[in-house]
Amino acid sequence: MSVRLFAVGMNHRTTPIELRERVDFARKGLEAALAGLAARNAVRELAVLSTCNRAEVYAAADSDDAVEKVAQFFAEYHGVSPSDVQAHLYVHRGADAARHLFRVAAGLDALVVGEPQILGQVKSAYTVASEQHYTGTVLNRLFHLAFVAGKRVRSETGLGEGAVSVSYAAISLARKIFGDLTRLQVLILGSGEMGKLTGTHLHAQGVRGITIASRTRATAEQLAQQIGATACDWADLDNALTQADIVVTATGAPTVVLTRADLERAMKARRDRPLFVIDIAVPRDVDPTAGTLEQVFLYNVDDLQGIVQSNLDKRGGELARADAIVSAEAAKFAAWLQSREIIPTVVALRDRFESIRRAELNRLQHKLTGLSPEAQAQVDNITRLIVEKLLLTPTEQLKAVSDDALAATYSDALNRLFSLPPPSDPLDDEPVTTKTRKVT
Amino acid sequence: MRALPLLFYAAAATAYGAHFAWRDERVGRLGTGLLAAGLLGHTFLIGMQTVQAGHAPLVGTTAALSAFVWLLGLAYLYVELTSNERSMGLFVTILLVALGIIPALDAEVSQRPALLRSPLFTIHVMAMLFAYASFALASVLGFTYVLLFKEIKAKHLGVFYTRLPSLGVLDVMNGRAVAVGWMFLTIGLVVGGVWASQLQGSSDPRVQHMSLADPKILVAVLSWGLYSFALYARRAIGWNGRRAALLSTAGFGLVLLNFIPVGYFLTRSHNF
Repeated sequence: MSVRLFAVGMNHRTTPIELRERVDFARKGLEAALAGLAARNAVRELAVLSTCNRAEVYAAADSDDAVEKVAQFFAEYHGVSPSDVQAHLYVHRGADAARHLFRVAAGLDALVVGEPQILGQVKSAYTVASEQHYTGTVLNRLFHLAFVAGKRVRSETGLGEGAVSVSYAAISLARKIFGDLTRLQVLILGSGEMGKLTGTHLHAQGVRGITIASRTRATAEQLAQQIGATACDWADLDNALTQADIVVTATGAPTVVLTRADLERAMKARRDRPLFVIDIAVPRDVDPTAGTLEQVFLYNVDDLQGIVQSNLDKRGGELARADAIVSAEAAKFAAWLQSREIIPTVVALRDRFESIRRAELNRLQHKLTGLSPEAQAQVDNITRLIVEKLLLTPTEQLKAVSDDALAATYSDALNRLFSLPPPSDPLDDEPVTTKTRKVT
Repeated sequence: MRALPLLFYAAAATAYGAHFAWRDERVGRLGTGLLAAGLLGHTFLIGMQTVQAGHAPLVGTTAALSAFVWLLGLAYLYVELTSNERSMGLFVTILLVALGIIPALDAEVSQRPALLRSPLFTIHVMAMLFAYASFALASVLGFTYVLLFKEIKAKHLGVFYTRLPSLGVLDVMNGRAVAVGWMFLTIGLVVGGVWASQLQGSSDPRVQHMSLADPKILVAVLSWGLYSFALYARRAIGWNGRRAALLSTAGFGLVLLNFIPVGYFLTRSHNF
């Protein structure tokens, strides 16, 4: 019986946030969601992908009814009314399901096109499902090809390139200016929310140390404690500027906090070692003319946002190339799925013809014994060639069928006409790493 | 045969260019392979010339230019293989092709006059060539530093931002290349001076011109002055980054001036 592959899901494009918040398979753990769906005995293989912007089920089943059951599961598992969910669900079948997953893995379907996390999320969705033995031949192949598509898009196009968030743009600039971040000293001015966010971000990058300066020493110390930094007095700012390689200014001050003269003095004291000044405050904390000082690299929020925008534009230009890669990999999967449907029938048919030929040769054995061994070999050869020729066109035609339903009809017809034995799945023993447990 | 290394260098430059444009790793490796093949051919050529002449082919400006191209290629290949950084390849191979044209057209090995049969001569020439190869690398590093610096300062992150290593790395490598070059230049000049003083009394007109008044010697001493200042300025007054990059580029301009126009047309002490 042919296997139906399909994907059912919702994402940021089809579903408003209120509903996405409620439909979250990850809340009780993916294992629970997988077990819940498996308990309904609707599908043979399944995997659940859950990110903040999407909830999707990939499944292989024996009949089309399974799609309906999975859709119901979306509503029932989360206690949402089925009509609410139905309106926002999309369903992809067969090769379209593969294409959809490949687009997701490549970051083409993401809120921020080309975002790098999604491939990892697809991987972990697969890992959880396969460790619990919910995946089999079809989903194993599907996800492996999805990883290939995702990696190819990453390495062969510029889709994942360039920072697409302000904080990442600042970090990538710091890398381009200094190279190694682990030897850098960071100074943060201001202890508000922005200062805290930036500090946490830089801390995660493994900078050597972070100093926080605020007009009120106590708030600086409080924040320093939270993010593993040290606090310094506002009066000691000159010294801190001399030590720092990166200065982040995020105070709520209504006027300029660092003047050109301040930075000029600092640059002299630091013998013109490069200084990267990130002014994320609005209104700006740093006199913009300080950016013309020889080794001062001054970026404000608008500059960083400009970089983010131009990177997003560049990613847009790479979409066509990424799409082509996804299509090529999806076509490979479609061909595999197709051959998987028809190959058992082809093999059974050939076996059938071959056994008839052998049976006939055996029956005529007593008439052939008078012939020389060469002549006997010739007879064997000729009969084999006849069988080959007879089967050549049907085999080619069968392999070329690109329509699921037609392939099933052909298989069915051949099985009946030649009373072929029920086929064993020749692809089940292919090299996939996961043991398969059929869900039904 | 003489033009063979040049052809390989040109092919390598094309591959490095394509690698720079499209960032395809395989094309980059092809560039490295072509450069290595060119250097191997060049080594073979220099070996043949050594056998043919019975001494290292270091006599005359053309031979020195050929040896310089060879050393620069080797030095760059070493840097590339140890740093795994290929983006500089395009600039270096362009330099190799530009400077390799004269030796490719005229590779007659000059016979060594009796005057030059001294180990001091070989040490002098080799030290100078090592120095110049280092300075050439420093200038490429400086040149690319300035390109990247301009992009970051102008906040238009583009071609160089995505391809070149960081300003920090370029600056450190530039500093090292200048320091190594300066050391060899100092050795070359001192050994040259000692050797010239040993020759005093020779009737050869070239020896008569071995003084600071000769443009070749004057410009070499000037470039020593310039690189000494670059080293001092980096350490003492914080001339790193763009200023150091510009200094090393200017310094190599002086070296090239000394190598080609002065070496071929103006010197009266070094025209062997």
